[in-house]
Amino acid sequence: MRHRLMSLILAQLNMNFAISHSRYYYIEKRQRLWEGVLIVVSILMGAAVLSFGVFKLADAFYSSAAVIRQEALTLITGILAAQFLMLILGVALVISVFYFSSDLPTLIPLPLKPWEVLASKFAIILANEYLGLAVFIIPIFVAYGMRADIGLISYVLSSIIVFLALPVIPVAIASILSVILMRIIGFTKRKDMLTTIGGFLLVALIIGVQFYMQTKLPARGNEQEFMMQLLSQANSVVTLVGKQFPPGIWATLAISDAGTFKGFMNLGLFLSVSAISLVVFLMVGNRFFYQGVVFGFEASVPKRDISDVKLAEPQFPERTSLVALAVTEIKLFSRTPVFVLNGFIGFLMFPIMFVVLLLMGNDPEVAGLWESLVVMPEFHSIGALIVGAYFFVLTAFSGIPFSPFSREGKANIWFLRSQPVSGSTAAMGKALGAEIMILLGSIPGVGVFQYIARLPVSSLVIGFYLGIVSSFALCIWGVLLDMARPMLNWTDQQKAIKSNLNILISMLISTAVLFLLGFLVYTLFKKGYSGLVAQVTSGAVVTLLLASGLRVLRTVGDKLWRSIEL
Amino acid sequence: MAKARNACLLKLEGVSKTYRGSSTKAVDNLNLEVRSGEIFGFLGPNGAGKTTTIKMIVGLLMPDNGRILVNGHDIVKDPVSAKKSIGFVPDEPNLYNKLTGLEYLNLVADIYGVSTAERTRRINDLLSMFGLTSEVSDVIQSYSHGMKQKLALTGALLHNPPLFILDEPMVGLDPRSSRLFKDLMRKHCDQGYAVFFSTHILEVAERLCDRVGIIDKGRLIACGSLDELRKLSCETDESLEDIFLELTLPEGAE
Repeated sequence: MRHRLMSLILAQLNMNFAISHSRYYYIEKRQRLWEGVLIVVSILMGAAVLSFGVFKLADAFYSSAAVIRQEALTLITGILAAQFLMLILGVALVISVFYFSSDLPTLIPLPLKPWEVLASKFAIILANEYLGLAVFIIPIFVAYGMRADIGLISYVLSSIIVFLALPVIPVAIASILSVILMRIIGFTKRKDMLTTIGGFLLVALIIGVQFYMQTKLPARGNEQEFMMQLLSQANSVVTLVGKQFPPGIWATLAISDAGTFKGFMNLGLFLSVSAISLVVFLMVGNRFFYQGVVFGFEASVPKRDISDVKLAEPQFPERTSLVALAVTEIKLFSRTPVFVLNGFIGFLMFPIMFVVLLLMGNDPEVAGLWESLVVMPEFHSIGALIVGAYFFVLTAFSGIPFSPFSREGKANIWFLRSQPVSGSTAAMGKALGAEIMILLGSIPGVGVFQYIARLPVSSLVIGFYLGIVSSFALCIWGVLLDMARPMLNWTDQQKAIKSNLNILISMLISTAVLFLLGFLVYTLFKKGYSGLVAQVTSGAVVTLLLASGLRVLRTVGDKLWRSIEL
Repeated sequence: MAKARNACLLKLEGVSKTYRGSSTKAVDNLNLEVRSGEIFGFLGPNGAGKTTTIKMIVGLLMPDNGRILVNGHDIVKDPVSAKKSIGFVPDEPNLYNKLTGLEYLNLVADIYGVSTAERTRRINDLLSMFGLTSEVSDVIQSYSHGMKQKLALTGALLHNPPLFILDEPMVGLDPRSSRLFKDLMRKHCDQGYAVFFSTHILEVAERLCDRVGIIDKGRLIACGSLDELRKLSCETDESLEDIFLELTLPEGAE
């Protein structure tokens, strides 16, 4: 008989990766087998392309670092970046998987200890992290291993162990913070709103701490002397860079010194701290998890007295179906913490990064250079393109327009499908709602950029045109894709917006479009064309993208809509 | 506007449906009509094809063959017009949990183009009838199953649909609401409209329906008034339950 925890973990992994579901439909029923094969092949191909890109980058990085005898910087840069991203993005993932899974009402009444339920959920998060991590970190390990002079077996073994342990600490930290946050929020009445705000505050806190740690590096005045001292020792920069997150140093040295006593000690240290962080998390979770979950089952908005409602008077003016759908889309998205935490994270991160740049940019030399740059007409042209690209990037990475029908899920999609709205109206309502959210979310970032860049109004107007049109084009195409293959079967809301293949496909295509546009602009500038030509060309491309999207929507919208069968 | 008596509000002609990957027909050559002023009960054992039929009528599934006309509009060729004539409540009233009851009702009213004055009057009447007035400004997430069912019913009746389609409507309703709802169905039909509903509660069907259809393994095996169904069996004093059990006897069972 299997241990109950193992059974639980296996069942959770089965549901998370839809293993039985896929086997039933793709293999036993042979339904759309081609789709399953196509998905797997596309994912593998996409992962291979990305991995190859990371490998080439790491290889080039290694060559540069080798010049100053700091080869291990290749490893620590990758490890720290991965851990930092897992920590930031982990908050939304943890809150979603721990507190907003639809299987919680089934799991809670079972005779399981809170830590056992948590451990099974933690396993799901780790499994998801491994997938992303594999594409990013394995090529770095391979690039380093091929160039460094280390024994193959010990290197491979150490790398595998470090890879498996790598997400544990950041996810455990994100989990501990989230469990405590949700316990506190459990006491309050506006849980949804506070979960969203609390989640963002946690992310801001993590970024803030990271920034604070970086400012702990030596003052610029001693830089030359300090650098000389550093460079006199091989891989000494690793220790310095890793100081902001010591497990990063241990993981790096465990690999770079694999097969030696030093490597073995660092591996032991890394694994011990990973294990301790897991145990601490499970202890904290065992104490607070169920309380937070049970509070979450209660109504999350305070009840209003009927006297506030005044039903006898008209509540809302009549709206067209399109406006009603767009407004509802915004309400449904913005009131669901998991969607907001995942979809709006870019809206928060980019302005924070701009502000950090602002705060760090106190070098008089750089400031002087910047001052002379911002008055140049060429910069104004490029600035307008940056504003446009910012809207585009936020749209591409928010996932909002690429999952509107998926987010409805099997439970809710019946409503819209049974209403007297055409497919094109339903899609347009969703796209409009997404566009409004993205526009509002982009304003802080554009505001901070405008504060730094001081673009003239004309450039700003051009930037907004490029941004709004390109962003709306992405919304239309994204909604169309999600309409063609909505992911309606999910147990966690997180899956609808994060583990949704439509989002991955859209992001990849958007990135390709952005690169092509960037290449086009670069070529125009290189051939001596003015900024205006670059702007007009970009404007024409994005307008064409939007017009073609609208045309396709009008042509196939209703057909796609009918194909969503329940 | 009330329909002319005996006008055909729902017509299914040779409707069939086979789910992808399945070799058996979920619905097989189904023909039936529902006329104005009529409450039509759609009965059948589990997995007989009731929900599949209802999903095809409201446009959630496309039939493989045949034609479905709602108030004269083909649900496949002109879905928007057909759906405008329908008020639908599914078996599981999953509504948008993050909206308040009132926001949900206003969304429905906007989609169906119900005027502000009309929606205010009907929302007030229906909420008061279901005893939901004091909860309508709360988020749907805080509602019980029965309250969600009542809200879904309110939404489906908001535009006074000529054809009211319900999948197991009594599930989750308390006795008072159930009684009120039955009265409402009758009143709706007295206006010249029609109700098509599926149920497992045969007593309700027996008492309420003008006609019933019994579906088994995707085929309509009996259709008519209770008296007409009794004629199918030899005994004239049989209840609907007896007739149903007799007609849907599994193969090999005695």
